Amino acid sequence: MIARRSLLGGVGAAIALGMLPGMTHGAPLAKVKALGAIRIVVYQNNRPWSWEEGGKLVGLDVDMAHAIAEKLGVRADIAQLVADESADDDLRNGVWKGGLLGFSPGDLMLHVPFDRGFAARNDQVAIIAPYYRESFALAGKGGAVDLEGMPTEWRGRKLAAELDSIPDFYLIGSFGGVLAKDVTHFMSGSEAVSAVTEGKADAVLASRAQIEEVLHRAGDNAQGVKLRKRPLPAFASPGWDIGMAVKENSRTLGDAVEEIVTAMAASGQMKALFTRYGVDWVPAQAAG
Amino acid sequence: MKGPMLRALSGAAALSMALAAAPLLAEGPTDADLMNDAASTGDVLTYGMGPQAHRFSTLKAIDSTNVSKLVPAFAASLGGEKQRGQEAQPIVYDGTIYVTGSYSRVFAFDARTGEEKWQYDARLPDGIMPCCDVVNRGAAIYGDKIIFATLDARLVALNRNTGKVVWNKQIADYKEGYSATAAPLIVKGMVITGNSGGEFGVVGAVEARDVNTGELIWHRPVIEGHMGTLRGKDNGITGKLNASWQGDLWKTGGGATWLGGTYDPETNLLFFGTGNPAPWNSHLRPGDNLYTSSTLAIDPETGVIKWHYQTTPHDGWDFDGVNEFIPFDATINGKAMKLGAKADRNGYFFVLDRTNGKFISANKFVMQTTWADGYNKNGKPNVIPAGRPPAPGEGKGKPVFSSPSFLGGKNWMPMAYSQDTGLFYIPSNDWGMDIWNEPIAYKKGAAYLGAGFTIKPIAEDHIGALRAMDPKTGKIVWEYKNKAPLWGGVLTTGGNLVFTGTPEGYLKAFDAKTGQELWKFQTGSGVVGSPVTWEQDGEQYVAVMSGWGGAVPLWGGEVAKSFKDINQGGALWVFKLPK
Repeated sequence: MIARRSLLGGVGAAIALGMLPGMTHGAPLAKVKALGAIRIVVYQNNRPWSWEEGGKLVGLDVDMAHAIAEKLGVRADIAQLVADESADDDLRNGVWKGGLLGFSPGDLMLHVPFDRGFAARNDQVAIIAPYYRESFALAGKGGAVDLEGMPTEWRGRKLAAELDSIPDFYLIGSFGGVLAKDVTHFMSGSEAVSAVTEGKADAVLASRAQIEEVLHRAGDNAQGVKLRKRPLPAFASPGWDIGMAVKENSRTLGDAVEEIVTAMAASGQMKALFTRYGVDWVPAQAAG
Repeated sequence: MKGPMLRALSGAAALSMALAAAPLLAEGPTDADLMNDAASTGDVLTYGMGPQAHRFSTLKAIDSTNVSKLVPAFAASLGGEKQRGQEAQPIVYDGTIYVTGSYSRVFAFDARTGEEKWQYDARLPDGIMPCCDVVNRGAAIYGDKIIFATLDARLVALNRNTGKVVWNKQIADYKEGYSATAAPLIVKGMVITGNSGGEFGVVGAVEARDVNTGELIWHRPVIEGHMGTLRGKDNGITGKLNASWQGDLWKTGGGATWLGGTYDPETNLLFFGTGNPAPWNSHLRPGDNLYTSSTLAIDPETGVIKWHYQTTPHDGWDFDGVNEFIPFDATINGKAMKLGAKADRNGYFFVLDRTNGKFISANKFVMQTTWADGYNKNGKPNVIPAGRPPAPGEGKGKPVFSSPSFLGGKNWMPMAYSQDTGLFYIPSNDWGMDIWNEPIAYKKGAAYLGAGFTIKPIAEDHIGALRAMDPKTGKIVWEYKNKAPLWGGVLTTGGNLVFTGTPEGYLKAFDAKTGQELWKFQTGSGVVGSPVTWEQDGEQYVAVMSGWGGAVPLWGGEVAKSFKDINQGGALWVFKLPK
C-alpha cells in the first residue's frame, strides 16, 4: 500500500480513487500467477499506444503490457477493446462486466484516465498506476503557419485534426468559427499528424504522443516540423494523466502492478520504453 | 479434349435439370405476392404487413366483441442465455412462422404446433459495438429464401426450408462502426436496406441488391456531396456539395438509415428516413445538414432521390428522422390526395404529399416539445433557441431541459394505420431530459468535451402513451397511458381492434374507435416486438415476440424506476379464440 499512497500523494486521493487501505483480497494476483497468464486490455486502433502493423500488435501500451507480465512472471494475453462512446463504457466492457457480445473483461486495462471525478463515478474499478501525462500540442511546418501566432492568423491554411476530438472542437468552434472551413478531419490523431509530414496539411492539433511518434517514424519528412511552445489561447484541456484499471476487488493485483510501474519509472525503463517510439516520457502529475 | 468436353456436356445436362427443377426449388412468395401482402390474409410476408407498412389486416373473426376470450395457442422459446431485446415482427408463410431473435438469430417454427423446424445463429465477432442493444427487427421472405441483417453489418439469405446459408454478403464494415438491425425490404427482385452505426464517421446510405445473389445494384449515400452508384458506375452526387455543410464535415455527416424503409407501389417510390447529423454538437456544423433527419423518396430502379423533406433542420437533439413514412390516401380540403405520414422522434406527426414531398401539416403527438413551437406553413419548425443544448464549454454544468428526450416522442417502434377508422395508432412516450456539459469526459482514454444527460418522466402517471391520431385534423382522438415507456410496434384490424405490447409484459387489445382496453395477456417478459395476425385453417391467429430489451433499459435515471422489475426473456407467443 505504501507505494500507492506515495504515488497518489496521500490517503485522501487513495480513497477518492476507490482504493481503501487495509482491505486485502489475495485471490486475483494468486489467480493470475496460478494461470500463468494475465489478460491485459488495450484499445484497438489507438496509435501510438496500441495498433496493428503488418499483422502485429505494437505500441507503447503493448510494450508496457509485456513488461508488466514479465515482471509478474506470467504470459501477457493482450486483448484489443473497441472503444465505446465514453471511457466509462470502456471500463464496463473491458474491466468489470464485459461486452454485450462476449468480450471477456481483462485482469488489467491500460490507458485509463487517472482523474478523481472520473474515478468517483466508476466505482466498480480501481484506477491505479498513473504512468504518463497526456496533452495536446500544435505542430506544423515552419513557414506555412506562424506556430506561435494567434490561431485566427491561420485562416486559409490547411489544418488537420481528429474528427470529434477536443482539437476538432477547438479549431472548428473557437474564435467565432473562423477556422471551420480550413479544418480537414481524420479518423485518428496519428493520421492527422501524417497529413503534415506528407505535405497534405500545414499544421495539426493532436496529442503530443501522437505527434512525436509520427515525426519519429517520418524520417526526412519530419524535417522542419515544429511544435508550438506557447499554450493555445482559451484551449480547454490542460492535459490529463493516464493510468490503469483493475476490478474493484482486485487490489492485490493492483498493488503488484503499481509496484512494477513505480520501479519501471525509477529505473529508467519507462523512459526507454517510450524512447523506442520517439515519444518523450512525461511522468503523470499524480505520480509526481 | 475428351475429358473437358464430357464434363461440359454433363454440366449442361445438370444445368437443364436444375432449370427444370427450379420452379419447385424456388417455390415461395413472388414479387407480386409481396406487393399483395396487405390484402392476402393467409400469410404475413413483409415487415409492416404490406410494402406500405400499414400494419392493418382486414381479418375480423377476432373483434371488439370477442377479443376478451383470446387465449394462447402455444409459445416457443428462443432458448439459450441470449434472452434480451426481442424486437422482431414475425413472418408467416406456408405453415411456418419465421422470427429473428436478438444476437442475429433466425428461427423457423411450425405455425400449428410451435415446434422448431430450424435455427440459424450468426457467428458474431466480439468487436461489435451496437449502440442500442443486440436487437433485430425482422426478416424478409422471397421465393425459397429468408433474408435478414446481422449486427456485424452483413446480409444473410437462408433457405427457408432448411435454414442453410444461400448467400452471405458484407454490407458495411463493422470495424468502422457499422451495424444492421432493420428488417430488409424487397421490391422488384431487389433487397433494399439502410445502414446503422451510431459512431462518428458513419455516413447513411440506402442500397439495393439482387435478391438471388446479394450483388450490389445501386448505392445511394444520403449526405450531400457523396457520389451514388448504379451497377458499378457513378450515378450522380447526392444534393449539392457544401450547400448545407461547412468544410469537410459532410464526409462524416451521419444520417444513418438504421430503421429501413417502406415502398409505395402507386407512386413507385421508396421512402427512407435518415438519422441525426454528426458530430452530435450542433454548434460545430452550422447549416441544415442535408439530408440528415429527413424523409427521402427514392426511385427503386436507379437509387436517385426524387424528393426530400427534413423534419428537424440542423438537428441538435439527436432526434433522428428515421421513423417510417406510411403512404395513405385521404381527402384534404375537398381534394383526394396521395399522402404519407410520419410520427417523428421530435414529437411531431407529419403529413406530406407523397408524390412530391410537399408539406401538408405537422401536429404534436406528445405532451411537450421544448425545442420548437409548431411548424409554419412552409414546413419549417418554429425553433425555440433556448431549447437547443449548449455548445461544449458554454454554461458549464448548467443543465438545459429538453423534451422529448433523445429517445424520442416515438422511437423505432412502428405505428399502424387503419383503413377502417382512418386513424394512425402511434406508440409514443412523454419524457424529457436534462442535458449539460460534462467537464470531465473521456473517449478512448483521451480528454473529450462530453455531454451528460438524465432522461426523466414529465407526467406523474405515465411515460408511454398509445395515441390515435386523425391525420386530417391533427387531433388526438384517444390515448392509452402506460406507466413504463412503450417500445413495441402496433397492429390494427378490421375487427375494430388495435394491439400493442408493454414492457410490463402484456400484449393488449384496444377498441380502435374508443381506445377502451378490451384484453391483455401476460407473456412473462416485456413486449417490444410488433404483433401480426393471419388466418390459418379457418381461424384467425395473433402472434407477438416477448423479451424485454432494446435501448430503454440501457439508460438509467428516474425512468428506470418504471421497469426495474421487468425480467429478460425470449419467446414467440401465438393466440387464437377457443373453438
